[in-house]
Amino acid sequence: MDEKYAQLWTKISVALKPQVSVDTFKRWFSAVKLTNATADEVTLLVPNNIYQFWIESNHMPALQAAIASVCNGPRAVKFICAVDTSGGSDAADPEPPLSAKAQAAAARSNTTPGLNARNTFESFVVGPNNEIAHAASLAVAQSPAKTYNPLFIYGGVGLGKTHLMQAIGQYIGARTKNTRVMYLSSELFINEFIDAIQHNNLVKFRKRYRQADLLLIDDIHFLGGKERSQEEFFHTFNTLFDGHKQIVLSSDRPASEIANLEHRLVSRFEWGLTAELQPPDVETRMAILRKKARTLKIKLRDEIFEFLANRIKTNVRRLEGALMRVASFASLSGKELTNDVVEHLLKDILQEEARRAVTIDQIQRRVAEHFDVRLADMTSKRRPANIAFPRQIAMYLARELTKASLNEIGEAFGGRDHGTVLHACKLVKKRMKEQDKIRQTISFIDSALQR
Amino acid sequence: MKFSVTKEKLLECLQQVQNVVSTRTTLPILSNVLLHANGNKISLTTTDLDVGVRGSFEAEVEKGGATTLPARRLFTIIRELPATEISFDIDGKNAASIRSGQSFFKILGLPEEEFPPLPKFDESKVVTIRQKDLRDGLRKTSYAISTDETRYVLNGVLFSFKDNKLTLVATDGRRLAMLDIDLEFPRSHEADIIVPTKAVTELQRLLTDEGDVRVSVGSGQIAFDLNDTLLVSKLIEGNYPNYKQVIPGEMKERVTLERETFLNSLRRVSLLASDKSNSIKLNFSKNNIDITANTPEVGEAKESLPVTYKGREFSIAFNPEFLMAPLRNLAEDEIFLDLIDEMSPGVIKIQSPFLYVLMPMRISS
Repeated sequence: MDEKYAQLWTKISVALKPQVSVDTFKRWFSAVKLTNATADEVTLLVPNNIYQFWIESNHMPALQAAIASVCNGPRAVKFICAVDTSGGSDAADPEPPLSAKAQAAAARSNTTPGLNARNTFESFVVGPNNEIAHAASLAVAQSPAKTYNPLFIYGGVGLGKTHLMQAIGQYIGARTKNTRVMYLSSELFINEFIDAIQHNNLVKFRKRYRQADLLLIDDIHFLGGKERSQEEFFHTFNTLFDGHKQIVLSSDRPASEIANLEHRLVSRFEWGLTAELQPPDVETRMAILRKKARTLKIKLRDEIFEFLANRIKTNVRRLEGALMRVASFASLSGKELTNDVVEHLLKDILQEEARRAVTIDQIQRRVAEHFDVRLADMTSKRRPANIAFPRQIAMYLARELTKASLNEIGEAFGGRDHGTVLHACKLVKKRMKEQDKIRQTISFIDSALQR
Repeated sequence: MKFSVTKEKLLECLQQVQNVVSTRTTLPILSNVLLHANGNKISLTTTDLDVGVRGSFEAEVEKGGATTLPARRLFTIIRELPATEISFDIDGKNAASIRSGQSFFKILGLPEEEFPPLPKFDESKVVTIRQKDLRDGLRKTSYAISTDETRYVLNGVLFSFKDNKLTLVATDGRRLAMLDIDLEFPRSHEADIIVPTKAVTELQRLLTDEGDVRVSVGSGQIAFDLNDTLLVSKLIEGNYPNYKQVIPGEMKERVTLERETFLNSLRRVSLLASDKSNSIKLNFSKNNIDITANTPEVGEAKESLPVTYKGREFSIAFNPEFLMAPLRNLAEDEIFLDLIDEMSPGVIKIQSPFLYVLMPMRISS
């Protein structure tokens, strides 16, 4: 291992040399040793703290650029002083000891393949959009198979389903020894199943899954339409459930909406607790950005954080990607970031985001299509219940999804006045509270509009 | 406790001690000043538990004793009093009656026992320095102290007593200021200690051009005794980084500059250094330096400075604030600027043992 790191450092040195003066390199970098390198951090051993202070203050852009070019991406740089003269480098570490412990625990549980050590409960930012899912996951992790079994987490792309599942796996793996944690995507399950059929070792396959103490299956919706796999999974599920083993599943939509999924599976998935993840609100997005920036040791001005949080709304992964892009641009170019620069940098992402802006026209079309009424009925004066209610839903959605005023919405719906629109919104809200089916329908149309 | 004093003496002493008093303190007693009357002397003491200052003055003491009074309030009252004679009468419940001419104030204090005592020092390890030298030394180095609290060992000035020299060092990681003062002290007194920023700032206010200051180092603490006033401070724990590592080796080019002229040029040109890049460029050519700065979409500035220079032509960029800081604080008419190349640190020197190392900024092409 040491040799590997030494080689890595030699490569970084080669990239670094042209960027700093000969004297600087000799003076500051020749005594540096690389002691560890992970997917997001490089640890450098320096003889004493003046090396750390001076490199951090003066040569960071050059060093980061060199590391980024060698490692194919930016890494946080951590310094360790060989002579820890300050005696208090821990004090400078803003992270509370608890999380350090959890991280150590996470590192131990790394033995479960597929689990990413970064996805822990500590690194999950809780907001109103995901607090139920988070609380349920934590409850499951703290007392597996006792509270909610199975736990079914669903939500859109990049909202933290996988993060929560892996956090459960790490939490349990780290705290209880000899627990067999199995984490896999349903696609892998299917592939292994096919493989087992081909090579005729179904017994081994079954044994493997049915002995797990904790089974985490990601993206379960891929099971839709695969009948034999569903059947196999059904039996695995039953065996584990009867043996009081915890099962956690994730999907991008509610179990009942997964196409071509057998009813017996749907009903089983809905047996325990179903928790939804929704896109984060702006405050949560800010919190996510700050947390991410802190773990990556990125320093950005508040305006940049605000800019990112305000403009990227739908997807945490995209949010983090944008942060990385901005941060690596800042560290590679050394230029000061302004909103204009960031805007230019994230042009494609922002365009993608902007496409999600919904128009009243689209809402009317979609709602009419869903309820099978004519588009003209959206603006007509006719008002039998089968037309009036979809129209009211469309008004409600227009109010929620666009920035149009009540008057503008009324105008778009055949010159109705703002009171009518207000009434429609109130009515739809009330009926959403009373009837789950209506709520589901509306959230379906909502998500279809935003897709 | 009863005494009378002139407004001038009391105000002067209050001004010396009241700066230590923190406005945001957790202990109410720390916002008070300790008054102690003994013989014909009154002493005033303030502390924030890290730094403590005691000043004293002569007064007509009728009855000795001690009490504590709110420092800021006392100061504002004394400053506004009309007459020059002020009399204090403090009763057993620490309520002070202050009379001056037609004015009468009564302010409530706290018992003296609650006031944290200043630490005592062993008299054996004492080094005597001329006040002027120390004041000068701190002035020429303290501006380079780091304000980054995560690097707390840099949040002060290093006092290195070694080989009959006191070396003062301050750095923030981008620049370093260093100065030697010749002294005589026994080998046993050699030590490296870090005096925190607040103590350095207060000390600079107290030091004068006359007399000596007696420095005693205790475990984790230091005392500066300036005859009438005493400053005691906790030291920063930990070892100061090996600053010698920063000092560049052989320098290639040297220019001699008139300090004031150079400073004024820099100050003018830096008006157009942008807030963002915040750099100012020095372009060296034969017998001339062009100082330039520009901000995109705002404009640019350029000033030529005739100098004696025969080296190669090159440009180097610095943070203007960092370049001007030593120039403002030095007193010498002539300074030397030593350089190697555009990527290596520059060094400012003067005739006496002083050194300022400054990292250049990257020149964006």
